[in-house]
Amino acid sequence: MRNSYWLPALGIFGAAALFAQETALDPQSSVKINLASDSPLALLSANLGESRATARGAALVLDLHMGLTLRNTSNKHVRGVTLRVVTQEVTLGGKASVAVPSLDVRAGDAFPVRIDLQLMRPTQAANGPLVQVDLDGVLFDDLSFYGPNRLNSQRSLTAWELEAQRDRQYFKSILAAGGPAALQNEVLQSLARQQERPRLDVRVSRGRSVTSAAISAEHTAQFAFLKFPDAPVEPIEGWAQIVGNEAHAPRIEVKNTSPKPVRYVEIGWIVQDQKGRQYMAASLPASDPGLYLPPGQTGRVLQDTALKFSQNGEPVKVQSMAGFVSQVEFADGKVWVPNRQNLQNAMLLRVLAPSAEEQRLFDIYRKKGINALVEELKKF
Amino acid sequence: MKHPSEEILALHAGGDLGVLARWRVERHLARCERCREEIAAFQSVREIVPDLKEIPEIPWARLSADMKANIRLGLAAGECVRNDQIPATPSPLFNGARAVVAIASVVTLMVTGLVLEHPAPNPTVARQQGIVVQKMARGIQVWEDGRALELKHAVSDEREVFYSVGAQGSMRARYVDPESGYVTINNVYAE
Repeated sequence: MRNSYWLPALGIFGAAALFAQETALDPQSSVKINLASDSPLALLSANLGESRATARGAALVLDLHMGLTLRNTSNKHVRGVTLRVVTQEVTLGGKASVAVPSLDVRAGDAFPVRIDLQLMRPTQAANGPLVQVDLDGVLFDDLSFYGPNRLNSQRSLTAWELEAQRDRQYFKSILAAGGPAALQNEVLQSLARQQERPRLDVRVSRGRSVTSAAISAEHTAQFAFLKFPDAPVEPIEGWAQIVGNEAHAPRIEVKNTSPKPVRYVEIGWIVQDQKGRQYMAASLPASDPGLYLPPGQTGRVLQDTALKFSQNGEPVKVQSMAGFVSQVEFADGKVWVPNRQNLQNAMLLRVLAPSAEEQRLFDIYRKKGINALVEELKKF
Repeated sequence: MKHPSEEILALHAGGDLGVLARWRVERHLARCERCREEIAAFQSVREIVPDLKEIPEIPWARLSADMKANIRLGLAAGECVRNDQIPATPSPLFNGARAVVAIASVVTLMVTGLVLEHPAPNPTVARQQGIVVQKMARGIQVWEDGRALELKHAVSDEREVFYSVGAQGSMRARYVDPESGYVTINNVYAE
């Protein structure tokens, strides 16, 4: 008699199964990994053990879990790698990448890179490899670079490496002056600041943004600027359009105060809400890929996007905005990042996240203690 | 601290919890940042749901009909097997229970169909068109017209993931991979 309870339920589950049919993905046909023949990295293994495709109604959800092991086949130390993830027709205007900075991979050594991604697409989409993984760039310890650089990986990896050198030097100087106790004190203070750092959820959209009449009228807000004495570029003035908790069309005028031409400028964007709380909202890069700013000349950093701010699901209305120069790339490929003195500003200490290298070093401290951190700093 | 399940948080994000359950969750949220972030992520997903209903490729009516047909098929199959295996003596209690299960299933289907066909209007929320980059519960996503690409991260504690946004339409999630110890930076771009 109990069977009779089960059978109708089986009918329901059978119907539900139509909406959630799960199948394992064939690694050979679903992922293609492209490394050029002259690449300084070789693919040792690619594990797609748990990758799956699930039909949900008329959509197909693909979960891809890739564990790649790459070997440094060059004769230099690798400091950073960026892999580009291309999904063919899945997202028409979208792409992704996975970068691993703060590396120290010697010639001949191997290192892992994990890529976990989920794709959602209509079931009737075309066949073919679902995902292609390309090498976009490799940065070496002498700051030389290899790769097609489609995602401007050279600039990103170089900036991360300069930040890593800067922060290791800073922590080494504290260690030299005050020993492990002083270093530990510095780490604990920084970790405490990170606990207190306010976090803002930001959603960015390109294309048309339709807002309802219920939202208050748009107004123009002006940036205030935090200026660093050694920055090669000086922000002059800037604005963004504000509608409630949404900001769009930010634009900032900058002047090249250095003796060298500049080809990229990035401005850090801080917003303050109506209760006076400050948040790191975004970075505002120059939109023009062909930007060329000779010494003494002014240019504009602008973007045609909309940013919506919230915290814990509640909208965060923008009261005022501040900006600072966070990255500059010269025409010769050299990169400038703020120094530690610049970052000691009280507002920046409150809102900025630690650098990638600080994050790595603090992770070593939390898992292995101060002695392990000291040993790690000695390696460089 | 015991956290509410993901299902409970999702229901709370949509305002679908009962009074008592909602009160319990709100008490928990007042002292749990992690769950507040989960709620925020669910709410950001809900904002794009009204867009999903406009995807022309999803024939909700046909899918609903298919589900009903499959349930009828399941019920009919159950009846055949029952006739083969069970003695002819009917049980009034059992017949009533079966009918309740069948009716409840059909009612559930009809309600689900109605909800899917006629989602509640949400006139106060700004509706984004074009391509969107946003943070999700365990990753960052680029979304366009019902298609999405999401890079997930391998860290369970959200406080150990640092998100940053590029105003040109990009988002980063930076974390230390728990297995390798390497900093990993996931990026999605709406360009």
